[in-house]
Amino acid sequence: MVASKENFPLLAELLAEQQRLDTPVARFATAHAALSGSQLSTLSAQLRPQLLPLTAPRPGEQYAFEVDLDSCSGCKSCVAACHSLNGLDDTETWRDVGLLVSDDRRHPFSQTVTTACHHCADPACLNGCPVLAYEKDPLTGIVRHLDDQCIGCSYCVLKCPYDVPKFNARLGIVRKCDMCHGRLAHGEAPACAQACPTHAIKIVTVTVGGALCPDSVTTESEHKAPPTTFLPGAPDPSYTQPTTRYVSKRALPPTLVAGDHATLRPQAPHWPLVFLLTLVPAAVGTQLVALTQPDFVTYYVTNSAWLAGALGLAISVLHLGQPRRAWRVFLGWRQSWLSREALAFGAWFALSTLTLVLQSAFGIRHFAFPCATAALGAFALFCSVMVYADTRRAFWRFANTAPRFFGTAVVLGLAGALACGELGRTAMPGSPHWLGFALALATIAKLVFEARTVLPAHDDRNEVTPRLLTALLLTGPLRAFNELRLFAAVLGGVLLPLAIALRVAPPAFAWAALALSLLGELAERYLFFRAVDAPKMPGVGA
Amino acid sequence: MTSALDTLLRAGSGPMTSEMVLHPADFGLGRVPARLKPAAATTAVCGFCSTGCGLKIHLNESGEAINLSPDPAHPVNLGMACPKGWEALTPLAAPDRATTPLLRSRGTGLPTRDSDLLAPVSWERALAAFTENFKRIQQKHGPHSIAFLSTGQIVTEEMALLGALFKFGMGGLHCDSNTRQCMATSHVAYKQSFGFDAPPFTYADFEESDALIFIGANPCIAHPIMWQRVMMNQRSPEIVVIDPRKTETAQAATLHVALRPKSDLTLLYGLAHLLIARDAVKREFIEAHTAGFDEFAAFVADFTPARVAHETGVPESTLFRLAEILGKRERVSLWWTMGVNQSHEATRTAQAIINLALMTGHIGRPGTGANSITGQCNAMGSRLFGNATSLLGGYDFTNAGHRTHVADTLGLDAARIPQKTGYAYDQILDAIDRGEIRGLWVIATNTAHSWINQSRAKEILAKLDFLVVQDMYATTETARMADLVLPAAGWGEKEGVLINSERRLGLVKKVARAPGQALSDFAIFQLIAEAWGCGEMFRAWRSPEAAFQLLKKLSAGQPCDFTGIRDYAHIDAEGGIQWPYVEVGAAVPSRPEFTAADAPQTQAGSESRPYHQSIRHRRLFTDGRFFHADGRAKFLFDPPRPLPEPPDAQFPFLLLTGRGSSAQWHTGSRTDKSAVLRKLAPTVLTVEIHPADAARLAITASDRVVVRSRRGEAEAVALITATVQPGQLFLPMHAEAVNRLTFPAFDPHSRQPAYKACAVALARL
Repeated sequence: MVASKENFPLLAELLAEQQRLDTPVARFATAHAALSGSQLSTLSAQLRPQLLPLTAPRPGEQYAFEVDLDSCSGCKSCVAACHSLNGLDDTETWRDVGLLVSDDRRHPFSQTVTTACHHCADPACLNGCPVLAYEKDPLTGIVRHLDDQCIGCSYCVLKCPYDVPKFNARLGIVRKCDMCHGRLAHGEAPACAQACPTHAIKIVTVTVGGALCPDSVTTESEHKAPPTTFLPGAPDPSYTQPTTRYVSKRALPPTLVAGDHATLRPQAPHWPLVFLLTLVPAAVGTQLVALTQPDFVTYYVTNSAWLAGALGLAISVLHLGQPRRAWRVFLGWRQSWLSREALAFGAWFALSTLTLVLQSAFGIRHFAFPCATAALGAFALFCSVMVYADTRRAFWRFANTAPRFFGTAVVLGLAGALACGELGRTAMPGSPHWLGFALALATIAKLVFEARTVLPAHDDRNEVTPRLLTALLLTGPLRAFNELRLFAAVLGGVLLPLAIALRVAPPAFAWAALALSLLGELAERYLFFRAVDAPKMPGVGA
Repeated sequence: MTSALDTLLRAGSGPMTSEMVLHPADFGLGRVPARLKPAAATTAVCGFCSTGCGLKIHLNESGEAINLSPDPAHPVNLGMACPKGWEALTPLAAPDRATTPLLRSRGTGLPTRDSDLLAPVSWERALAAFTENFKRIQQKHGPHSIAFLSTGQIVTEEMALLGALFKFGMGGLHCDSNTRQCMATSHVAYKQSFGFDAPPFTYADFEESDALIFIGANPCIAHPIMWQRVMMNQRSPEIVVIDPRKTETAQAATLHVALRPKSDLTLLYGLAHLLIARDAVKREFIEAHTAGFDEFAAFVADFTPARVAHETGVPESTLFRLAEILGKRERVSLWWTMGVNQSHEATRTAQAIINLALMTGHIGRPGTGANSITGQCNAMGSRLFGNATSLLGGYDFTNAGHRTHVADTLGLDAARIPQKTGYAYDQILDAIDRGEIRGLWVIATNTAHSWINQSRAKEILAKLDFLVVQDMYATTETARMADLVLPAAGWGEKEGVLINSERRLGLVKKVARAPGQALSDFAIFQLIAEAWGCGEMFRAWRSPEAAFQLLKKLSAGQPCDFTGIRDYAHIDAEGGIQWPYVEVGAAVPSRPEFTAADAPQTQAGSESRPYHQSIRHRRLFTDGRFFHADGRAKFLFDPPRPLPEPPDAQFPFLLLTGRGSSAQWHTGSRTDKSAVLRKLAPTVLTVEIHPADAARLAITASDRVVVRSRRGEAEAVALITATVQPGQLFLPMHAEAVNRLTFPAFDPHSRQPAYKACAVALARL
């Protein structure tokens, strides 16, 4: 027998029944659950004294997470509870659980580590924010993020050494742990602390500025050996002074490293920034090169520089999650290099535009204008360098970033001038020969400088350093881009300019040299973002 | 004016800020964002593992689940849950849910199976295809040429209806479930030793032990909420972990015994030897309540400390310390999980643990017991009502009296009940390979991923004339091979009872709508019964709760008697009820003790929920009477056997497998659907390698490596850690590639596969 007409009633009935919710069985517990009212469930209420300080912080103190490493077994309930009770988006998590491992053969050891925002005494996120979207609560010390103020520039993501702020694509802003301040204010423990099956997470009061001072734990956990360092395998705490206290009765082996300490993690490319930081240096560089040859200040050079700058700045807006709030970017100028960079670029572009307008509409060609424009451009570029140097990431240190950014300016300035000279050939005598030689020289110098970055890849790999990881990224997952960068630079920045300078190739090849040099610099800037070793709290392997 | 400017310059409020502002949630739930404020709350027991945590489901106005949190008033988890529990609702909303039946468009019996050829069809068409194909196969190859493989993940009522439908209605014989992969050993070990499959403990024992000995168990990761109960122990207990790896649990233990893999049977016999030699056994208990001790004592006489130390790699001093703990501590509980169950000599190893508890009298008292921690949420339901190895309700197929009793209770003709048990999981696959079984029905399990020596399992499944997969997802490795996919509702979309590790019946409720035309497994079985033409036989099974009442009747007089449970509402009100539970005044088969520690509780939780105070925590064998006819427990033993596939020159490493992360469940068909759970597990397969081995093979941290066995290979990333011993590797079991490597050895008593040890080679890529 097969399914036949007489089965249809049953099928229809079962399909209808399947969609029926709020059945009597589903309601069972509702009635008495409602009785418990808005008070916290009894167990959590009982736990409250264990999980929260009994008094508010006094002056000079703040709230902090305390994690009992001996109790953390790596179940990760804290992460899921934070996600559920705070209603975070599907892929959004504000807490994470990582692993510390030891390769000590005699003493096998591993330690799971739960980590969220450390509510630092000197928060890098707050210090870097161009729109003052962070505030440190004067009473509790909680580092709070003002979601409606955030422009979504993600600079805090780059600034925080613990990888705490997370960009939320739906909202176009960054969000992060606020220590459940809305719960704390009502005597309820943060979601993670309530949810830890072994009570490994609690809130304590610590002395601000004495984050690493052994006497600063003022809770009942004083019997535990106070930490002498922040946490093995974690980034240097002296930068931001994280307040989270990791405590253990056991001495942690000195050889502990993060489970993912050798994991290669290519970072986000930030394409709009790649274009910004290639086109604007190109513009500034062209202006600088033009200064060396007052005769050579042609209509084309000025226009091209302005156009490149305009394009770069326009594209950079795409980087922001909330561009309509970006007008507030000046607010952070006292503390944030990003704010300064934005202001400097704004001023530079205004002056570039003025210079152009005066030149083309009114025929005013006073030498002071291009000089001031170029100087302001160079300062803006310096601000750009500082934006990255201020993250304290090894690959982005000043000595590595400044030569790259200014190198791009020089290379593309020369390449641009070479091409513009070709464009203006009919009116002017054409670009000077030295431009070709200079471009080749500048490109070679920049390539040599960059080559130092991949050298550690051939070192002894027993000690994993940020420099080694960057080198391994460039020679591993990012190898194709690295080779593209090299190919474009050698052909467009060295061989073609030499050929033009030596009159082996026709001057029109300057356009190919410019295009390839631009491609090479874009690739270099792309690698600048992707190959950086971003510090973070210990993660799991792989 | 200044303040207006301030507000303009710094937006401290607005829609994005409001989104995160917390409001009182009521229902004892603390504070939640406005969007998640529930209109009502109800409770349900979690549907992942056997811990059986109570979850509070937050409902909107239409009774639909919008969020959940662990239930603080539930006696199992006391307001905590692992990440899987927290994320239990997420997999229901996955985009790859099966929403209509899918039928392979090009005939059947294709040599290669490709999910692209699966086309949506109506339920009528699907039911016709099911019955036509299976009946045709039965007509051609005999009634036993069809089989089913089911699961420990569906509710008891569904398991029972499936088993009854298949064996009594469809005339089938061979059926098994994935509990064979996790719990068959405990089932057989208890049944042989105690006379019934009866884990004796209650979770309160975690808190009441002076010493807890974990053997092949990593509760920190596999059962975090049980570990929570261990951490609640106020008796400063000794915590011993017997495991080749220094697991998370071993890190937290007071003593880690890093024995050689699969030498646990020898170790346990060695401990028995020492206890006897030191006269640290409880003679009175042994004489009054056990059988076979003298033979056992004679048998372990050879297991001298020197021999055992040599064979297990455990120093004699550690053996002495273990014997001292067992012999001198007042309350010692022994706990085992998959490290024991998934072994080539699993049943005897589990019984060696039972033997230790029996000879030391560590059973039937608070904080004691030889305790199997179960795997799946309803493995215990499957063991009692799966109708596979034992007849519904823990009866025996070969016993005519049992068959009549079950038939009478269910209103069937006893002749419809098979007189023998069918094949076990591995035997069903072998029978498919031989061509003896031609049609297979897979329910809520993922054989093509999880079966040991997976590549062969896939080849075998490809031989079937007709493969039906009934699952929530049409995307599992097995569903992609199916001829017919039946879309099933999942946990939270249906009602029924799960039975947890401590024998606690808990309730699952319908709090979400199944997508499309997906139906509960119970409804699917009802439809199939009608389509098959045996619907009459199951008229009494009109709803899960009606079925529950039938099962209750079947349990009467059995050790698992739960006739004292009135209905679903009763279970719900009590926060789950442990079997046995009979009506007041009725004879209690095991006479469970209401211990002082558990008895009248006046904890605050009872204010909001009127729990029956004395029934929250109960253990078995408090009077020393076991379920064998003579009331005695048996000492059972066999000499240890060598590893089925020891490492050799070509494959010099021993591969251990196990749970990798508390955020992953089995083959990931559900947990992989949650972005949060995915984030909490390694994104790539990670192999743990000892530093000495890594140095020898020039492997450094995070290098890509390949692990090869005689059966297949898997690529992985190296995690170098001394938590594994030299010569051993560890891979988490959740990745599909891992079971390409495993060696198909089986315990002779339980037929459970030995996933935990096989020989492999390792190389840097």
